[in-house]
Amino acid sequence: MRSDPADYRFVAPGNLESVMSLLAEQPGEWLAIAGGTDVMVQYAAGKLAGRKLVSIWNLPELQGVRVLAEEIRVGAGSTYTEIRKHEIVGREFPLLARAASWTGGIANQNRGTLGGNIVNASPAADSLPALLAYDAELILVSVRGERRVPYVGFHSGYKKMDMAPDELIRAICIPRVSSDYFQYTRKVGARKAQAISKVCVAALGKVRAGTNGKVIAEVRVALGSVAPIPLRLTELERAVQGKAIDAELLQLARRNTMAAIQPIDDIRSTAKYRSVVAGNLVAEFFEQLRMPTHPRGTRMCGAPGLVDVLARWNVVDAATAANEILPCCGSRAWAAAMAVRRPLAAEAEVLETSDEIWRSLTALDWMEAFRSHPRIGESDNREARELDAKSVKAAEWSEQEQRKVADADASTKLTLADGNREYERRFNRIFIVCAMGKSPEEILSILNRRLNNDEASELQEAWEQQRQITHLRLRKWLQSR
Amino acid sequence: MNHSSEHGGRCKLSFSVNGKRVEVYVFPMERLLDVLRHELELTGTKEGCGEGECGSCAVLMNGVLVNSCLIPALQAADLNVTTIEGLADGPRLNAVQKAFLECGGAQCGICTPGMILASQQLLDKNLSPSTDEIREALAGNLCRCTGYMQIVEAVAQAARVKE
Repeated sequence: MRSDPADYRFVAPGNLESVMSLLAEQPGEWLAIAGGTDVMVQYAAGKLAGRKLVSIWNLPELQGVRVLAEEIRVGAGSTYTEIRKHEIVGREFPLLARAASWTGGIANQNRGTLGGNIVNASPAADSLPALLAYDAELILVSVRGERRVPYVGFHSGYKKMDMAPDELIRAICIPRVSSDYFQYTRKVGARKAQAISKVCVAALGKVRAGTNGKVIAEVRVALGSVAPIPLRLTELERAVQGKAIDAELLQLARRNTMAAIQPIDDIRSTAKYRSVVAGNLVAEFFEQLRMPTHPRGTRMCGAPGLVDVLARWNVVDAATAANEILPCCGSRAWAAAMAVRRPLAAEAEVLETSDEIWRSLTALDWMEAFRSHPRIGESDNREARELDAKSVKAAEWSEQEQRKVADADASTKLTLADGNREYERRFNRIFIVCAMGKSPEEILSILNRRLNNDEASELQEAWEQQRQITHLRLRKWLQSR
Repeated sequence: MNHSSEHGGRCKLSFSVNGKRVEVYVFPMERLLDVLRHELELTGTKEGCGEGECGSCAVLMNGVLVNSCLIPALQAADLNVTTIEGLADGPRLNAVQKAFLECGGAQCGICTPGMILASQQLLDKNLSPSTDEIREALAGNLCRCTGYMQIVEAVAQAARVKE
């Protein structure tokens, strides 16, 4: 039955101290509510045990991510949106950033908080395995003071935790991970979006040189949705230490995983399916940990169909890789060189490598890239050219980049066309400009200015514009799925 | 924010809706959705699932997309709420609304207000979203009749017009 709002007290004192005294005065009677994405669902269904709620949404003491030398401290009131967008979290803690992006849709990510996710203690929460794998610690706070506890062991049973009724989570502390760890996460759910996990894995690993090749230096493996609480597979972690990653080890990992978990049949899946899939995912983690090409420990798997573009591109054969990246620039020499430089770890490295290669090419290669673009103002003339799949991608990008020009009035388009022709007569190639976000008028004035350039400085300008276009396209490509 | 209802019961709450200051006398745990629909008679905001899964009740709170079925009224105190009624300028629909009409992005209409506000939030931050970005932005909004193709197309068209 739906709850009657008249039956509830709800207060918002606005600061941590007042909230804590309320919790201390009547321990166990008050329920703290942050963004409401869990509490309000129970409330609407008439399933809230208590009748008194206190708002901790937006409490300044629970906000923000503090970056310290040894760890980051994520305020318990940080939303999934804040966590996903945080630069350091994205770079150093991709398992957490990815889990945040998997949790609900945008509206719930705007309200759901990491502290709330921990105390809601759903065994299916996607961020909790990540926190386990990162060896997170919690700062708990009450009128009695603060204490710091390891997150491993915080959940003692289904929805049970090591927390007194007068305590709140203030912050989640995550030790900064050195970059030589390989990080792996994968969620299996019914759909890409908004699906609660059937199984979710977050894992870190490091290999070292042994007497007969590489052996496991350290792994940390955590699983969600396969037990009453999120699980760290500590026995498995100990069992594989110092071992080479071979077929036997994969078998051991599977067996060990399936023995450690206690999956159930429910509306989302069956115990049997969960057991097999959990074993497969853990084995996949070890297989990928073994591969020599994993780019500085940040290859990430997504939900099915959500595989990271760069991770996939890093491991396909060179010809496929060159072909795929070609539309970002248009020069075949550039594309081939990019493929050779794999694996690349992240967007920044892709962009830097691209610049380096672009600089090293010859004028012939530059011309090839310039020729791959439609004239400014003609990007909608698709039927004029025979298009294969690659050119379709390039044409789609050109259209997006030149969108403002496509909407220009007829006389502006005519003037542009005249300018283009004059440019081509003068420099013997098409006019290249990074059109993204520029109005037709701006482009016209740039064109007129550049018509007065001498050959050398004009080549320099066209070269720079193409460099910028390539950056834009590389970014789009990396964000595609 | 420093509001409380000392003895249970209703409290006076003021916030702004679509640019207009309003004062209501409500229970602090009343859902923002119900306050909008019943107290303020802004019935453009729809209730679908009532548990934050479907996005029909989405509104913007200080410009941030939220599901109003999950917001207790007290947490909206002093904030600026934008509902579907606040997007048009009198009889002139905004770019997103127009695009939904032109592309056939609506059928029964229950999901439409939430879809449009979620699209609006996306376009406020991203002038030329890719198809994947549009799909991700709308992943929390479920449509049970028209399917998603025309809706995604409508957002893409709105982006082209807005630029």
